[in-house]
Amino acid sequence: MTFIVRQIARTADGREIVRPQTFAAGPIGIGREADSDIHLPDLAVTLRHAEIREAGPGRIEIAATSGLPVDVNGRSTMRETIDVARGANIRIGSHMLTVAAGESDERGATIISVERVGALSEASEARDEQRAFSLAGVAPGRRATAWALAIAVLALFLAWPLWSFFTNHQPADGARREVAFHADQMWSSGRLSLAHANLENDCKACHVKPGEAVRDEACAACHGGVHGHADPLRLAVAKPQPGAGAKAQRAVAGMFGIPEGRCVACHVEHEGAKTMPVTEQRFCSDCHGGMDQRLTDTKVLNASDFGRDHPQFRPAVATNPGDRPIVQRLSLDARPLEDNGLKFPHDIHLAANGGVAAMARTMKVEQGFGDSLVCADCHVPDSTGARFQPVSMEKDCQMCHSLAFDRVGDTVRTLRHGDPRQVVADLRAFYRSTGPVAPINLDGMARRRPGEAMMLRTSAAFNQAAALRPARADQAIRAAFSEGGACFDCHAVTPPTSLAAADWGVVPVRLPQRYMAKGWFDHKSHAGESCESCHAARKSATAADVLLPGIATCRACHGGEDAAKAVPSSCAMCHDYHMDGQAPAMVRSMRGREAGARPWRGPQAAGGS
Amino acid sequence: MATRGARPLDAGGAAQHEGFLRYRGYRWLKLALAISLAAILIYAFHDARSRPNGGSWYGYTLGTIGAGLILWLTLLGVRKRAMTRGRWSLKAWTSAHVYLGLSLVVIGTLHTGFQFGWNVHTLAYALMMIVIISGIYGIAVYSTLPRVLSANRGETTQAQMLDNLRQLDRQLHEAAQPLGQRHAEIVRMSLDDDPFGGGLIARLTGRYPKCGTRAAQEAIRIETGPRPAIGDDALERIDVLLERKEAALARIRQHLKLKALLEIWLYVHVPLTFALIAALFAHIFSVFFYW
Repeated sequence: MTFIVRQIARTADGREIVRPQTFAAGPIGIGREADSDIHLPDLAVTLRHAEIREAGPGRIEIAATSGLPVDVNGRSTMRETIDVARGANIRIGSHMLTVAAGESDERGATIISVERVGALSEASEARDEQRAFSLAGVAPGRRATAWALAIAVLALFLAWPLWSFFTNHQPADGARREVAFHADQMWSSGRLSLAHANLENDCKACHVKPGEAVRDEACAACHGGVHGHADPLRLAVAKPQPGAGAKAQRAVAGMFGIPEGRCVACHVEHEGAKTMPVTEQRFCSDCHGGMDQRLTDTKVLNASDFGRDHPQFRPAVATNPGDRPIVQRLSLDARPLEDNGLKFPHDIHLAANGGVAAMARTMKVEQGFGDSLVCADCHVPDSTGARFQPVSMEKDCQMCHSLAFDRVGDTVRTLRHGDPRQVVADLRAFYRSTGPVAPINLDGMARRRPGEAMMLRTSAAFNQAAALRPARADQAIRAAFSEGGACFDCHAVTPPTSLAAADWGVVPVRLPQRYMAKGWFDHKSHAGESCESCHAARKSATAADVLLPGIATCRACHGGEDAAKAVPSSCAMCHDYHMDGQAPAMVRSMRGREAGARPWRGPQAAGGS
Repeated sequence: MATRGARPLDAGGAAQHEGFLRYRGYRWLKLALAISLAAILIYAFHDARSRPNGGSWYGYTLGTIGAGLILWLTLLGVRKRAMTRGRWSLKAWTSAHVYLGLSLVVIGTLHTGFQFGWNVHTLAYALMMIVIISGIYGIAVYSTLPRVLSANRGETTQAQMLDNLRQLDRQLHEAAQPLGQRHAEIVRMSLDDDPFGGGLIARLTGRYPKCGTRAAQEAIRIETGPRPAIGDDALERIDVLLERKEAALARIRQHLKLKALLEIWLYVHVPLTFALIAALFAHIFSVFFYW
């Protein structure tokens, strides 16, 4: 069998150069060795890589001779028989040997075309130079990355939260969405305040309708009992005329359907998991500063800053005690005189020396008094610490101001405090049921002078005295209700309606529990101060003195919100917009910080308000 | 108008190259500074109820300006495909892009009111900042690296560098022909190593720890090391060739590294811009959805 080997090379412009070589018979050696029959200058080819020989009529065999396989028709093999008529592609290294049967002149011969098909090296491979030297080949495509990232962002931060919103069905029983991860929380601009911690991630609790700004109804769902500030009409009048900026803001807000004066205008949320920020001073001062100019009939005085623009305190002073009390708000500047029905000189009671102090010293053990009385002996803080328990006769006065009038055995009988008619009755009963002291000579055991005369005289005198004794009650009653008497010492006494009557009365005492109901003063917060630093009780000789400090005293420490004082104080420290008898928001939030804030538990827990 | 384009010696300006950074005496820089300063001043003195916040009137204003600016800045990608001259030339546009883009740092940051969290709003801000920072990086490398690049390249072009490498490969191939298979395999380690391979990290760092040429040279030197150099050793010749190839590769790789450093910012700047626009949309949508 004849073998015709055609070495094919290509010029730079792609033209083929064929160098044929005829071998009369096999075997034909293939290798990198220069004297190989088929010389393959290819480093992937061993020096003597394979051999081709005849294998019967029309068939040849290729056998690897160096231990490295050859590739016949895509199959790696060490030995393969090839039907020449059908042909084959033999790949060795970067070279392709194509086996075919010869035609016409070459009929009967086996044609082996040899051509390099792989590049000599990686660097030699044809490539787009611009692209090869740029990052395009090694970095992910910009366009593809852009699309992928944009779609990922939209899927994660738009579609997922939306899905979370539309699958969030509020239970009808008012139950809350559980506090857990919900995709729409990725839209939350910040944690809710501690007061609303249980609403965290329950977006729909406030954002009821998509696209609609939070409405007050959402707040009222829980905060149903919140006290408004004032008559809305008067509020509207009290508001200052909006400037151009405010008008423009209103106009824009109106365009977006945001109503004016919403709860959230002051109560800002999503500011972090802390106590809700205290409303700023200017939210108050914009109306209350110069309010009399707009709301001309108001009784509320102008105030815009505690340090600079705040009226003197006007405590509620009782000017007429009794059944028809008159309580007036009077400025401390006017030095108002209080008449609460009680006579009580603080100076005598607080004096370091004197009768009161001497008496207090006798009760050191049983009452816990010191060398003299101090404020706390009578004024005991209430459970909140903000104010004091009411002073009471029984608790705070009676240990000294005894109402005892009789003793039966070991039991001391006292007049009933607070009920003049009982006092009168008890005194009458006392004189009715007790006789005068029996003279010694009426006693059977007594020594006496001889004769009956003296005894009879004494007996007669005693009988007369005994008969007249009940009448002595009137005298005792009068004494008790008159100057120097037990009642008169402390109380305003109303005399009997007629000379014969004994309907003495005592004007009811009305001690104020709060002088300043419109504001808030927290004694506990001032525990570091002494009582005397504000209350000039040691110098007060009469209960008519209103022992409240004036605003100047407060201003020693307190100034406005931005004052350079020890305690910058915004309005909310003493006043509440939604006045409800509770401490103002700022005090509550300070307390909350002290005691670990207590979140709002919803209307049920709060007693339905 | 007739004289337009016919004033090549106009006031000594035209001959000197004016880059987009210095365009018209830093016109856009001045404008951007003025905008930023105004934004900061208003922020400092505006009446922010409770506290500065993206939801205040000023917050919404800054947000609107910022969003508009981002969209306009993105349009450079469209605009750059059409080069024109004049007031709205591409150069002017690029200059405005750079400086107004920088002022977005101020506008965007003030818009946040310095309130950040793990949410879509901060995501949009973070993406914006990454895009801006990558842009700053881009400007920095554009103004420094081309000089280094041409210094490294010398007088050769990319094509010449590659041809040099191919030439060396041919010589290596040639020189390795008489070698036995074991040695031929060593040479193939170098030939089969793709000079453009190695991936993104290798491109950016210029470090190719799996370099076939170096491995080949090490293997060859283990072979030739103990033998005296008699001058007629094929392996010695290959060693020399490999050393030359490594030098050529070093230059190409430095070139590739510089080019990668020059280009990489666009692979951040552009895709993240689109991520930013998506996040911006989600941000705005969510604000008005939970309003």
